Amino acid sequence: MTHSIFKSIKLINPATNFNQKVNVVIQNETIISISKDLNLEKFNKDNQTIIYDCEGLTMSPGIFDMRVNIGKTENLKFTQITAAESGITSMAILPNQTPKLNNPSIIDHIKRQSEDINLPKVMVYGAATKDLNGLEMSEIGLMSEMGAIGFTNGNKSIKNSLVMRRLMSYAAMINKPIIQHAEDEDLSGLNQASTTSIRGEMNEGETSTRLGLIGIPACAEVIMIERDIRLAKLTGAHYHVAHVSTRDAVNVIREAKKSGLNITCDTAPPYFSLNESKLLTYNTAFKLSPPLRSEDDRLAIIEGIQDGTIDVIASDHRARSKDTKAQPFSAASVGASGIETLFLITLNLVHKKIIDINKAISFLTINPAKILGIDCPSLEEEKVADFIVFDENEPHTIKQKNLKTSPTPFDGKKIHGKILATYINGQVAFMNQIFKNKIIK
Amino acid sequence: MNKQFKNNSEFNKSSPVKLSSHHLLAIEGMQKTEIQKLLDRADYFANLDKHADTKYLSGYVVLNVFFENSTRTRVSFELAARRLGAEVINISLINSSIKKGESLLDTASTLNAMKPDLLIVRHPHSGAPLLFAEYLSCSIINAGDGRHEHPTQALLDALTIKRRIGYLEGLKISICGDIANSRVARSNIHLLTTMGAEVRCVAPSTLMPSSLEKLGVKCFNDMKEGIKDADVVMLLRLQIERMSGTENPSEREYFNFFGLDETKLSMANSNAVIMHPGPMNRGVEIASALADDTNRSLIKTQVEMGVAVRMSIIEALNHSKNKT
Repeated sequence: MTHSIFKSIKLINPATNFNQKVNVVIQNETIISISKDLNLEKFNKDNQTIIYDCEGLTMSPGIFDMRVNIGKTENLKFTQITAAESGITSMAILPNQTPKLNNPSIIDHIKRQSEDINLPKVMVYGAATKDLNGLEMSEIGLMSEMGAIGFTNGNKSIKNSLVMRRLMSYAAMINKPIIQHAEDEDLSGLNQASTTSIRGEMNEGETSTRLGLIGIPACAEVIMIERDIRLAKLTGAHYHVAHVSTRDAVNVIREAKKSGLNITCDTAPPYFSLNESKLLTYNTAFKLSPPLRSEDDRLAIIEGIQDGTIDVIASDHRARSKDTKAQPFSAASVGASGIETLFLITLNLVHKKIIDINKAISFLTINPAKILGIDCPSLEEEKVADFIVFDENEPHTIKQKNLKTSPTPFDGKKIHGKILATYINGQVAFMNQIFKNKIIK
Repeated sequence: MNKQFKNNSEFNKSSPVKLSSHHLLAIEGMQKTEIQKLLDRADYFANLDKHADTKYLSGYVVLNVFFENSTRTRVSFELAARRLGAEVINISLINSSIKKGESLLDTASTLNAMKPDLLIVRHPHSGAPLLFAEYLSCSIINAGDGRHEHPTQALLDALTIKRRIGYLEGLKISICGDIANSRVARSNIHLLTTMGAEVRCVAPSTLMPSSLEKLGVKCFNDMKEGIKDADVVMLLRLQIERMSGTENPSEREYFNFFGLDETKLSMANSNAVIMHPGPMNRGVEIASALADDTNRSLIKTQVEMGVAVRMSIIEALNHSKNKT
C-alpha cells in the first residue's frame, strides 16, 4: 500500500469552510486521514510511504475551469496536460470547436477520448442550436443523456428570442442550464455583412475614438441579459451568463438574483484585472470577446466578485496562433489563452485583499460545480484525492515565453503564487521540482 | 510667441529637421516644436522654384505601398520623393498578395528584404503602419490607416492655414462632417490642439465618435453654432465605404444640415477660409460654388502644400535615421 503524507499543510476546503494547518494522508485515490496530530508510526511500517514537508504550502481542491475553448492551435490532450500543470482538475469545453459538439455521439466520443485517470476530467457543453446557427434546437435531451452538462452557442449569442424561449423551457425540463455569451450582435456590428470595416472591435469610448477602431457599446451586453432574464422568468430556466464584463450587467444580474430567479454568471481574469487602455498600442493579445472595458466596468466586476453577484471565475481560454494575432488589430483573431494564468490572477485578488483565500478557491471549485450540477469537490476523509498544492507567496513574473499557450494578456505581470503539484484520483498529474525537493522520506 | 516662432523659423530654413523618431506614424504624441520645425522646413520648400535643386537624397529608395485606393496622396508622396532625388517605386497591393492569402507581415518583410530606406504605407486597417514599424528596419510613414490617422494631411493643412493666415495659435477651426470615420479629423485634432488652436467638431450625432471631447475639442451637432466666428471651416468627405447604411438618411438631408453653403458660412468669421482634404462630393459636403471660390477656398493650395510638407518629412526621417 502506498501512502503519501502531506505534513503541516494549510488545507483550504470551501465545501466545509475549512482553513487550518493539518497533516493529510492519501492512499491510492482516497484521502484517508486529515488530522492535526500525525501518528507517523501508523504509516511508517510501510516502506512505500512518501512524506512531503509542506510547511508554508497550501492544499485545496483542484480547479474546475468552466469555460474552455479548444481552438485550432490545440488538441484536447495537450489542453488537458497544460490544464493539469496549471492546477486544473476538471474543465468544461465549449461546443464551438471543430467538429462542432452538436450531437449525442460526438459528446460521447469526446468524453471517451478524454478519459484518462491521470488527466483533468473533461465535461462537455452541447451546442444549443443545430450547427450553432441559432435557428433550430439541437438534440439537447439526447446530448444530456450522453453527459452534456449544459447548452450554449459558445462564443455567439443565442439571438432569436423565440429560439431562446424554447431552449430555456426545454432545458428547464431536463434540468440543465443555458449558458449565454451575452451580446447584441446587431448593436456590436458583428452581424454586418462580409466587410470587416464596420464590425465592432473593442469597447466603445475615448480609447476607441483615439485608435480609430470600431466601438462596441457596453450596453450590447446588458441588453441581451435583460431580455434573457425575462425569458428565464417566463420559463423557469437556469440561465447562466458567461464572461460578464460590464457594470450594467453586474447590476442587472444582482437584481435578478434578489428576485429569486435561477440566474448565475461567471467572469474571467482579464475583466477584473485589465481595462481598455491596454489596447492603446494596438496589441492584439488584448483583442477579446467581450472586449476589455472601461476602468469603471472593471471595478464593477470586482464589486460583483466581492458581493457574490458573480459566482465563478473561469479562464475563458481561447488560445490563438501567433500568425492570426500578428495582424493589424482589425484583422487579428479574437481571444487569448487563459488556463495557465487562471489560478495566479485569481490568487492575486487575495493578495490585493479583495477577497479572502477561501472565497477565491470557492470561485474556482465548488461554485462552478454547483452551477453545473456536478459532485461538489471536497477534501475530506474518504473522499477522492483531487487536489492541488501551491505556494501562495512565491513571487514570479508571468512571461509568454514560459507558457505553452498564447497569447497571454498577462505577459510581464508580477504576481505571487505558484502551483507545485496537481493530484487527480490520488495520482500525480503534475509535480514540479520545488515540490519534489520537499520529500523528507 | 509669434516673434520667437519667427526666429526659429529663420534659423531652421537652412537645415533639415531632426525628429525623435525615424517613423511618422501619428500626430498624437508629437511635440509642438517638432511640428513647428517640419512646417517651417516645408514652408521653405514651398517657396522654392519647382526646378530648384533639392536632390539631397540621391540613392534613397522609397517604396510607396498602397493597400487602399489613392490618387492624390500617392502622387504627392511620389513627387515629393522625386524632388528630393530619391528613387520611388509605387506598389499597389489592393488586389495582389493580400487576396492570395499572404499575411501582411509576410508582404512587409518581403518588401523589407529589398532594403528600401522608407516605406510609405496606406492601409484600410487602423494601426497597420505601427505593425510595420514594429517588425521592419526601414522608416515608415503612415499615409493614412483606417480611421486612425493621416499625419501628413494634418501637416499640409496646417501649412496651408499658416501661409494664408500666418499663425495657428488661437485660431477657431471647425472640422465638419464624418468625424467618426475620418483619419484626417483625428490627425488634425491632435495637431491643431497641440499648436494651440481652438478646435470644434461638427457632425450629425451618428457620425460623432464616442467621448470625442476628451481629445480637447468642443462638439456640435448644429453646424451654424459650430462654425460661428470660425476662422477656418474644414470639411470632411462622407466615407460611405466605411458606413453600414444606418448613419445618414440621404445625401440631400446631409447637405441640408451639414453641407457648407452661403447661409451657414455667413455664421463664420467674414474672412473665414474653407478647406477640404478631397476628394470632395460637390453638393453633399460643400456647395459647388463655394468650392470654386478662390478667395475663400484653399482646397487647391492644400494639394500644392502636400508636396512641400512631404518633402520636409521624407528629408527629416532620413536625417533622423542617420543621427540615431
